[in-house]
Amino acid sequence: MKQATLSRILYVEDDPDIRELVTMSLQLIGKFQVAACDSCAAALDLVDEFSPELLLLDVMMPDVDGPATLQVLRERVSAENAPAIFITAKVDAGDMQRYRKMGVLDVIVKPFDPMLLSSQVEQIWRSNRSNLNDNNK
Amino acid sequence: MNIQKRHNLEYLAAWLLILAFFAWTANLLLNVQSDWAQSNEITRIDQDVHALFDPWRDLNRPGNDVLENYEVEIQTNSFERYLVEYSAARARLEVHRAAKMPMTDFYVGMDEAAATAEVLASRVLQLAAEREALRLSGAAPDSIRLVETEAATTMARMDQAFQSGLDLIANMDVRLDGRLRELVASRRASIGSLYLILLVALLGSVFSLVLLRRTAIQGEALRSSAERINAIVNNVVDGIISVDDAGNVESFNRTAERMFGCDAEQIVGLPFIDLIDPESREQYNEITLDYDESEYLGRRLDASEFPMEIAATRIEVDARPLLVYIVRDITERKHAEERLRLAASVFENTTEGIMITDQDAAIQSTNPAFTAITGFTAEEVIGKNPRILQSGAQSADFYEAMWESITATGHWQGELNNRRKNGEIYPQWLNINAIRDARGRVTNYVGVTFDITELKASERMKDEFIATVSHELRTPLTSIHGSLRLLGGGVAGELSEESARLVRIADDNSQRLVRLIDDILNIAKIEAEKMRFLLQPLAIDDVIGRAIEANRDFAQQYDVRLHAEQGIREARVLADKDRLMQVLANLLSNAVKHSPSGGVVRVSVQRQSEYWRVSVVDNGPGIPDSFHDKVFSKFAQADGTDRRQGGGTGLGLSICKAIIDRLGGRIGFDSEPGVRTSFYFDLPVMQRQAMADVVVSG
Repeated sequence: MKQATLSRILYVEDDPDIRELVTMSLQLIGKFQVAACDSCAAALDLVDEFSPELLLLDVMMPDVDGPATLQVLRERVSAENAPAIFITAKVDAGDMQRYRKMGVLDVIVKPFDPMLLSSQVEQIWRSNRSNLNDNNK
Repeated sequence: MNIQKRHNLEYLAAWLLILAFFAWTANLLLNVQSDWAQSNEITRIDQDVHALFDPWRDLNRPGNDVLENYEVEIQTNSFERYLVEYSAARARLEVHRAAKMPMTDFYVGMDEAAATAEVLASRVLQLAAEREALRLSGAAPDSIRLVETEAATTMARMDQAFQSGLDLIANMDVRLDGRLRELVASRRASIGSLYLILLVALLGSVFSLVLLRRTAIQGEALRSSAERINAIVNNVVDGIISVDDAGNVESFNRTAERMFGCDAEQIVGLPFIDLIDPESREQYNEITLDYDESEYLGRRLDASEFPMEIAATRIEVDARPLLVYIVRDITERKHAEERLRLAASVFENTTEGIMITDQDAAIQSTNPAFTAITGFTAEEVIGKNPRILQSGAQSADFYEAMWESITATGHWQGELNNRRKNGEIYPQWLNINAIRDARGRVTNYVGVTFDITELKASERMKDEFIATVSHELRTPLTSIHGSLRLLGGGVAGELSEESARLVRIADDNSQRLVRLIDDILNIAKIEAEKMRFLLQPLAIDDVIGRAIEANRDFAQQYDVRLHAEQGIREARVLADKDRLMQVLANLLSNAVKHSPSGGVVRVSVQRQSEYWRVSVVDNGPGIPDSFHDKVFSKFAQADGTDRRQGGGTGLGLSICKAIIDRLGGRIGFDSEPGVRTSFYFDLPVMQRQAMADVVVSG
């Protein structure tokens, strides 16, 4: 069976520099299709058309933060089954536990290494896939 | 008259009585002795007088041939003997008379008769000798008869003289008998009196003895009583001062001496008012006339002052008025009152709410701060259970654990949410202590509480600040670091060698800045006790494996190998996995950075009594002795100039220590300079720790 590959990542980040960096890293190094936007509202505009396979969300954002954005996006059919990874500078033991309860695959902590980001994201995604497959068998 | 004086007089009378009896007795004895001596004297005189004449009575028997008798006497020398005795008797009588001894008048005239008789007797002897001489010479019978005639005449005169003496003796005997009878009668009377005196003396002595004994007993009792009273007076806790009607101190017990810092001798005789501070004297003057019990300021000899309470009462002793002052030093009481007043003031004015309940947790008292915090006045809560404050925010288990702690240790403190009278729920810090009586029984519970609403808000602000700082610093750093990494990685095109080197320097330092921010935030969180610990049972082997795996790439950069020694499968601890990983990562990176190229860092687990010890050992240069006490200090680096070892923030080990401390463990190191260094931490063995102790702290 052909191994599933990750190709479409919806990335929400309010900081334009980091958004550009991450987008560049994922596109140039990971060769992923990346739909990047700066807010929950912009993500809602994109999500149905883009049909993401993975949601990469910043946590601390004005107006609607990462967890809330995730909840909203999950209400869309196009993203209801898409796994999510948080990427954040704000993380402690309590946060991690809370995020995991929300079904977030993992948290990538800022600052991250953009040279390794793509492989890190893909590894988390694959790990989740294999867990799903194991559960389906 | 007091008892002592009466006893003294009785004592004196008893002794006078005894002396009088002795004198009387002695007088009678002297009389008896005198009578006895006179009787003896009379008998002796009688014998002496009879000795003068009795022999002649025998010689002068009728019908006897006197001369023959004389001759016989002469022949047997008896007559001379009579004369000798006669002379001796006369000499004694003479001595007796010369000494003017009693009854010499009885034998007046006897001397004369005796002298005559003596002369005549000598003549008779002479004539007898002459007749004998004539007989032997054969003289004429007429010559002999003439001598015999003269002898007969002389003898007749001698007999007459003797008869006269005998008559005198007879007369004297009568008189002497009379005198003797008088003496005997007198002596009998004296002896009778003596017996009477002896009887009276005996009775008197018995009585006196009884009296003396009673007096002695009463005296002893008095002394004993006086000593007892003295001992009591001197050992009571109060000063006892008696003052005469002139206002001068008459007696001063030892307690008063201690109280006023002086000896009684220094005070007795001085005005009592000197013992009172001048400021109190006016008040004192008003109370001396009657019983009083008031507080004054006492004044010691050294002029220092102390608060005292005086109870004064007027009594009468030996018809003399006396004021007795019971003085009590109330310094301690004043201090206690002051402490109570202070405690009451604190109770009333403190900003912490105080609630006191009885042993059944019924509220007895609350302070104004309690009202300010809860909105309930004291009247509204007294008699009620503190349950009225519960908000429902805490579970029944919470209160159960609280009471378990109070029952077991008498104490509980912690944070909880209560409800004010107006329904508002507020966070509070509550400290409950059980109050016990002398027998250890709980009598009350005291709850001290303060509203931590503002504190909580402040903490939230601090948390937000830390989070914001963390986010705001990391965000630009993420851009800088990311851009440099992409540049260095050639994503934006190949760089020249110089450009690549410069980008690497910038990147290294951006990473260093990231670590510094991380460590500062960690330290800030730990010190503010804001670092959350998710405690869970952890297998140490797993944690070590993960830590080694996570740091393997880093070690490779230094050409150092990480090696886990033979693990112990059952080694489990209760810890926060991420924090434990953080500690291990820190120790591993330190060991790597200090290891020589090609070196090995070994990680091992050992049982150390009730702890599991995790050791990270390198064979680097070790830690200089001078640096040992700074190893766990902030921003401490033994040698910050070593580029190979550089890149650290100097906060890593102090973070490790803070984390291990929070996990109930201990951290330390052993170092042999030039040989090896072992950093280790000990965490309590899991099975010894009840799962009930698992606490999510934060």
